[in-house]
Amino acid sequence: MSSSTTETSSTAAVSTRPPAPDQTATRRGITLQKFGRDYGIFFALVVVVIAATVVYPRFLHWDNLSAVLAQNAPLGIIAIGMTFVIISGGFDLSVGSVFAAAGTTAAMVAVATGSVALSFIAALAVGLLCGLVNAVVITILRVNPFVATLGSMTFFSGLILLITHNSPVTVSDSAFQWLGTGWLGPVPVSVVVMIALFALGWIVISKSAYGRRVMSVGGAKEASRLAGIRVDLVKGSTYVICGVLAAVAGFIAASQLGVGQGNAGVGLELQAIAVVVIGGTSLLGGEGSMLRTALGLAILATLNNIFFSLAVDTNWQGITQGLILVAAIAFDQYLRKVAPK
Amino acid sequence: MTEKIAEKPTSTSTSTPSGTAVEFRGVTKRYGAMAAVQNVNLTIRRGEVHALVGANGAGKSTLLGILAGRTAATDGDVRVFGQPLTTGHPRESKAAGISVVYQELTVLPALTACANVFLGNEQVRAGLLDEREMRTRYEARCEDFGIDIPATTLGRELSVASEQMLEIMRAVELDARILILDEPTAALSHKERKFLLELVKRLKASGVTIMLVTHNLDEVLDVSDTITVMREGQIVDQAPVDAWTKRSMVQVMTGKQELLQVVRDRSSKASHPVVFSARNVTLPGAIEGISVEVRAGEVLGLAGLVGAGRTSLLRSLAGAESKATGAIVVNGVEFALPRNPREALRRGIALLPENRKTEGLALGMSIGDNVTLPMLERVSRIGLVSGTAQLSAAKEMLTQFTLQRPVGTYPVGELSGGGQQKVVFGKLLLADPEVLLIDEPTRGIDVAAKVEVLQAVRHFAEEKQRAVIITSTEIDEVIDVADRIVIMAFGRAVGELDNTSHQVAVQDVLRLSFGVDEEEE
Repeated sequence: MSSSTTETSSTAAVSTRPPAPDQTATRRGITLQKFGRDYGIFFALVVVVIAATVVYPRFLHWDNLSAVLAQNAPLGIIAIGMTFVIISGGFDLSVGSVFAAAGTTAAMVAVATGSVALSFIAALAVGLLCGLVNAVVITILRVNPFVATLGSMTFFSGLILLITHNSPVTVSDSAFQWLGTGWLGPVPVSVVVMIALFALGWIVISKSAYGRRVMSVGGAKEASRLAGIRVDLVKGSTYVICGVLAAVAGFIAASQLGVGQGNAGVGLELQAIAVVVIGGTSLLGGEGSMLRTALGLAILATLNNIFFSLAVDTNWQGITQGLILVAAIAFDQYLRKVAPK
Repeated sequence: MTEKIAEKPTSTSTSTPSGTAVEFRGVTKRYGAMAAVQNVNLTIRRGEVHALVGANGAGKSTLLGILAGRTAATDGDVRVFGQPLTTGHPRESKAAGISVVYQELTVLPALTACANVFLGNEQVRAGLLDEREMRTRYEARCEDFGIDIPATTLGRELSVASEQMLEIMRAVELDARILILDEPTAALSHKERKFLLELVKRLKASGVTIMLVTHNLDEVLDVSDTITVMREGQIVDQAPVDAWTKRSMVQVMTGKQELLQVVRDRSSKASHPVVFSARNVTLPGAIEGISVEVRAGEVLGLAGLVGAGRTSLLRSLAGAESKATGAIVVNGVEFALPRNPREALRRGIALLPENRKTEGLALGMSIGDNVTLPMLERVSRIGLVSGTAQLSAAKEMLTQFTLQRPVGTYPVGELSGGGQQKVVFGKLLLADPEVLLIDEPTRGIDVAAKVEVLQAVRHFAEEKQRAVIITSTEIDEVIDVADRIVIMAFGRAVGELDNTSHQVAVQDVLRLSFGVDEEEE
């Protein structure tokens, strides 16, 4: 403990060198805490995967892995959008409703017009509209994101259930089901879409000027404003991205099942937030990465697969997920306290 | 974008400045009834270093804030290089070529040093961040300025001095034509300060116009071309640097002394027993090695400029700063500095905090509820709060104040600022501490309430023979209420003045605060 304290204090030391060249730059060593914070999640995944192969030897077989990935593709795609919102310092509870509304709308349009392209566009439009509503309520009406998206969550889901009279919309068109159940060579189409979106999300967050602004707005709102960044525009845009991605997820899920259901996305918002947070992206905003979200998703999906293979009561999934979520945040808080600043 | 670097030498060649960089015409900024800046007319010449100096609340930072777009002027025009500036929008100011290095820093902890320098000015190639370009330019700047901060260092790992360097680099990268420095050296060590001032001189040599606010008058004399003195939101004098001395600046910035006439006992407390003393209190980065003592029935005033460390000292004594070190003696018993407010209260030390809304009151609860919050056991029976006991205790405590509101029901959030302060004060009096620490008791309250609050402070000390330490940015007020005044500057106690035998003059306090030697001239 004492050695790590001295190390942390040296990390925080002055690294400016005023004219006299006696103060050399510091922070050569990486502290254990910093290492835990940066790479802990990776080791957690390795541990979980080893556990999975032990209890379920078929875990790493491609037929199992591809099924697990396809099953989690909608959740993963929602988590990508959620990562944007959370890094910008926000929160979106409405993704589950947007997911259901978009999937159901797509199914209705597919039934009515017979065009898969139109139904996909309709789903995207629903996501765009819902995201815009959230953005306006949060950045222009200045409603707290938690309350705003709690409101829009019940509003969107109420609306779609009202329109569909609480009944599922079944699509029998096989073209409609291609995105959800088709294969590109050995890989499910939905998994290809998810991986492509993860890659795109990673590029935008880590490699684009926009991503950097999302991060700075989440980290320090006033400092960003003073740096000339249009804070509200950046914040609002993350809700639009999140809405559109939730719609893509909704379309894929409807396509997987061949059914659009108004109550499909219940609980999905919390799972998506859990994925992001377990990955190590801070709920306070200002930091995080798409890679972390991907790792968070992998951990959660692996655990669920373990439970599935053991055929234990599905309620254990909820219990474990809750424990892991709280443990992940507590661990992060602990590292924050012991690591510098 | 890349031509920016190539353009630099041309601007250097025009370093013999002519014309006007900034012009304020009749600029006023009002907050409610109070004018922070009033009808200011000021011209900043192109390529000069122009310093604004003045005592607390003189309006320097507000004036710069208007130019920076941080706040909008209530009235008047600002012109930058002849073009009118729409105030209140940082983007507009940035577009006009203005960059600011703020007193509180704007470096983002999760971004690297290099990313911070290019924040809001990211270099992009084919839609993606051009990390290599930014890295190259960052390193060239570092080389050029003699700064050694590795590009990949995260913001959270930087010292304050390094953050400041990054902010200046940010301004330079933006090709700023006007650079605003608001207390740039307050948190820096001597060596870092020298380095920063060298940098300022170099920027000036390359044609940048610089506006500087600082409490350090030596620095002002060192780097400025023109010095403007402000007082109470107005400009009182302006002259080239050669016409000024530290003493003359302080003389001009001192207004007439306006005392509120708080009635008090003017006898010396030197013979009273020492109730409370603090030894060698240090809070890294804020205060260093401060020792004070207070006698029974004595009110000790802390005076000093904003940022001198007055609030840090009080918070350290009250256990609100976990990194503070030092010792305290309460009624002859020595303790280590309290580690948390609860421990401080157990030792009999209570703090009336600077920010009453967030730290002192539950705004939705009634006056009575607030006043009795720290002593609920005393007004409860078998664990239940007795409404009548609570009400009478609260009423008793508030008798010395005029509060024309029903104590039992009226929500504190709807009281005026003065009313709220009285409630916070009543609450502390009810807790009956041995030592009362008071931070900014009169901010934002009207004159009548001010007198009442200060009077209650005196009353508490004199009647109960308790120790009080009080501080205010208004030097007049400290003189009004204190028996003895300790002057703080740059985190240290720099002097002490007795206020019982004869009244202290504001000028003397300011002179000590600004570090003007008596012997100068």
